[in-house]
Amino acid sequence: MLTKLALTGFKNRWRDYLVLFSGLIMSSAIFYMFEALATNQDFLKQNTSISMVGIIFQFGSVLLTIITLVYISYANSFLLSMRKRDYGLFMLVGARKSKIGQLIWLETLLVGIVATVVGVAIGTGLTAGISQLLINSMNLSLHHLAAWYFPAALTTLLLYVGLFLLAGLFNLITLTKTPALKLLHSNEQPNRPQLKPGRQILEVIIGLVAIGIGYWSMANLGTLQLAGIGIALVTIVLGTYFLFNAIFVWLMVLLKRLPFAQRGLNGFTLSQLSFRIRNYTKMLSIVAMLFALALGAITVGMGFHTQTPLMAASSNAYDMGIVNATSAEKRQITALNPTTNVTYHFKAGKKAVYYQASEFNQHPFTTIEMRAKAQLDYKRVTQNAKQLSKSSLIYQLMQLQGSQHQQTAPVFLSSQDYQKLPQTEQHLTVFATNDVTQHLAGLKQLATTQRHRDKGLDKGMLGGRYGNYVMINGMYSGLEFMGLFLGIAFLAMLASCLMFKILSGADADKHRYVMLDKIGTTKRQLRGAINKEIAVLFILPGIVGVIHVLFGLQMFKMLMITSPYTGIWLPFVIFAGLYLLYYLLTINIYQRIVLQ
Amino acid sequence: MQTLIMTVSDLHKTYGKPGTKQYEALKGIDFSVQPGEFVGIMGASGSGKTTLLNMLATLDQPTSGEVTIHQQPITHLKGNQLADFRAKEIGFIFQDFNLLETMTAFENIALPLTLQKVATKKIKPAVEAVASQLGIQDFLSNYPNELSGGQKQRVAAARALINEPAMLFGDEPTGALDSKSARELLDLFTKINWEQAVSILLVTHDPFSASFCQRILFIKDGKIGQELQRGTTSRTDFYQQILDNLGTFEQ
Repeated sequence: MLTKLALTGFKNRWRDYLVLFSGLIMSSAIFYMFEALATNQDFLKQNTSISMVGIIFQFGSVLLTIITLVYISYANSFLLSMRKRDYGLFMLVGARKSKIGQLIWLETLLVGIVATVVGVAIGTGLTAGISQLLINSMNLSLHHLAAWYFPAALTTLLLYVGLFLLAGLFNLITLTKTPALKLLHSNEQPNRPQLKPGRQILEVIIGLVAIGIGYWSMANLGTLQLAGIGIALVTIVLGTYFLFNAIFVWLMVLLKRLPFAQRGLNGFTLSQLSFRIRNYTKMLSIVAMLFALALGAITVGMGFHTQTPLMAASSNAYDMGIVNATSAEKRQITALNPTTNVTYHFKAGKKAVYYQASEFNQHPFTTIEMRAKAQLDYKRVTQNAKQLSKSSLIYQLMQLQGSQHQQTAPVFLSSQDYQKLPQTEQHLTVFATNDVTQHLAGLKQLATTQRHRDKGLDKGMLGGRYGNYVMINGMYSGLEFMGLFLGIAFLAMLASCLMFKILSGADADKHRYVMLDKIGTTKRQLRGAINKEIAVLFILPGIVGVIHVLFGLQMFKMLMITSPYTGIWLPFVIFAGLYLLYYLLTINIYQRIVLQ
Repeated sequence: MQTLIMTVSDLHKTYGKPGTKQYEALKGIDFSVQPGEFVGIMGASGSGKTTLLNMLATLDQPTSGEVTIHQQPITHLKGNQLADFRAKEIGFIFQDFNLLETMTAFENIALPLTLQKVATKKIKPAVEAVASQLGIQDFLSNYPNELSGGQKQRVAAARALINEPAMLFGDEPTGALDSKSARELLDLFTKINWEQAVSILLVTHDPFSASFCQRILFIKDGKIGQELQRGTTSRTDFYQQILDNLGTFEQ
């Protein structure tokens, strides 16, 4: 009978359960996505040359577990608040505590297990989808990536079921210890926002100091090594929490005193925000952290992506060199609209590759000369036969000579001397396009036919920008993928955290909006108030997150050759766009719940 | 004769869609209210009195019939017009106070003014004036959960009155109050009604509350069954009259 009652409760509040379920499913799906990379040792080893990556993932797992813990405690208190009245009612009609205890336990676990199983399934799908999308759009080459990875699923299931067992226990104690009447009337009581200047100043100081330590240790990762990441993680989480806690309350009280608060529903919005201050500070700190992680991961991922062609460009001035290019190949080259396209004739001896000096005087060869310590600081130098023969940069021509002559030094002869050589004449076509990344398909085709003809190239390196691009891309693909994949995962987690928190309060807000409607508030004003309130909750952690990222990128100075801050606007703009979408979605759902 | 503040003509309300099981809550209500009148509507649970109030106060739309307040037909108001009408012409007081528990008493009272974009300078004096009239000037910085039921209801009354509405509607406003607070609130209503000539329409099933009115309409099964005028009768005698009337009316 009670089970039947419990199920009816379920039916009546399907909308709330939908919010609860979608939140939990999202969270477990993302946890699985993360674990699918983190627990897959083969993938990590194969795709990165940096040994620290594995350990970074360990730290990431710990952080995500903490976030999950908070998330589930929110979800659980939401569940509890939904069921309190029902359980109170059951007690009033004389249900035994042990029976109710069973029900609570069962319901909590059921919700947890169903959400986790569905979450893992969705996580598998997302992993497959997102990785395909990334691999195709970013030209990544990855090995050992598995969307379905059993250890990851097991980890996710164990963690979530474990946490829900705890949550069930907690619910059992809370509900059975509370008198029935109190359960029936346990509406949220607002706590008066209090200003305790002494305590708040202390909190601000602790917060700033902690964040300072965190930033410092990220910038000095070289000396601190792994400990630096640990220190940064703890101090920044704590610092963010203290800062939000101190400043948020204070800001709301201050804003309320301004004339601004007495216009339209501004006062109401500020009251709404300060009303839930305690809950929000915790959530906002988490969201700020997730924001920083997501944005940071995407920025770093894209950083590696922009770095690859730059590094390739610093290796050679030409995209590719083709020995004895066929007329079909020449046509293909012309189709690429090359900026340079020169064919040099040569005769290959045992000790040297002989060229005619006149050809090089007519079409000088461009070399790349490194200037300063930084790897990407170079200039292009065009050299004629005489200059080239003395230059140490001549290896850049050698790289283009095909597998057989890659180790053979070029010698430049006068036309008469060249004519006297008995070897058959061959020719080398070198060309450069404006941008390797824009002609990848065409270049790949040329490389394939060339490899087909020149078997040695299979093992040896294909010289030139394209060959270097492929090699560097292979090295960085893993990092790029991890950065972008995790960035997207963290972003989804952050959004679902924020949405869940905001939407779980929507039901309690409903009567306030109904009341405002009764005293003559226009729908426009109501919508405006909702938009503003939620905008504040999105913007605050956003600002803090951006600051964290700007400092956090210091960590990658060691790993990256270009400055991690290069082209930073692009990931930021993309991220802002996605974040805006989440905001619009949240206000839309919220308005549906609150304004009907 | 002065123009009427409110007229209600042939008001019907049927719940349920045609074809399904329908329930007719109001079966043709006609009456009018003079400016400055204090009218009570009485009836047992399920008699339709709350339905009637919801129609009069624009919270719900009747199936047929018309209500005018200040000669303005109100049953078909929508959107911004409806919101403006509610904000300017009428005030509500509910049984469960309906205060925003996230805002102080001051902020609650000031809300209708801020919604109407009244200049900030004018808000404070207006709130203080109405608060001192209702004897809550000392509680303005408190939150609703720090106030007693009677105080909360006076805050709600202040919020309803701050826009100087043409009509004040009360839905069992003393329902959640102890007898002392209830009497104080009703005395306050009488005072406001007398001093400011605000028309008040009170829905109640409590004869004591009703005895403060000048005229009482008894509703039974969706119709006005009887009308009682207080005239020059003292309140205690009127109370007795109501009790007698209820006795026979409900039989």
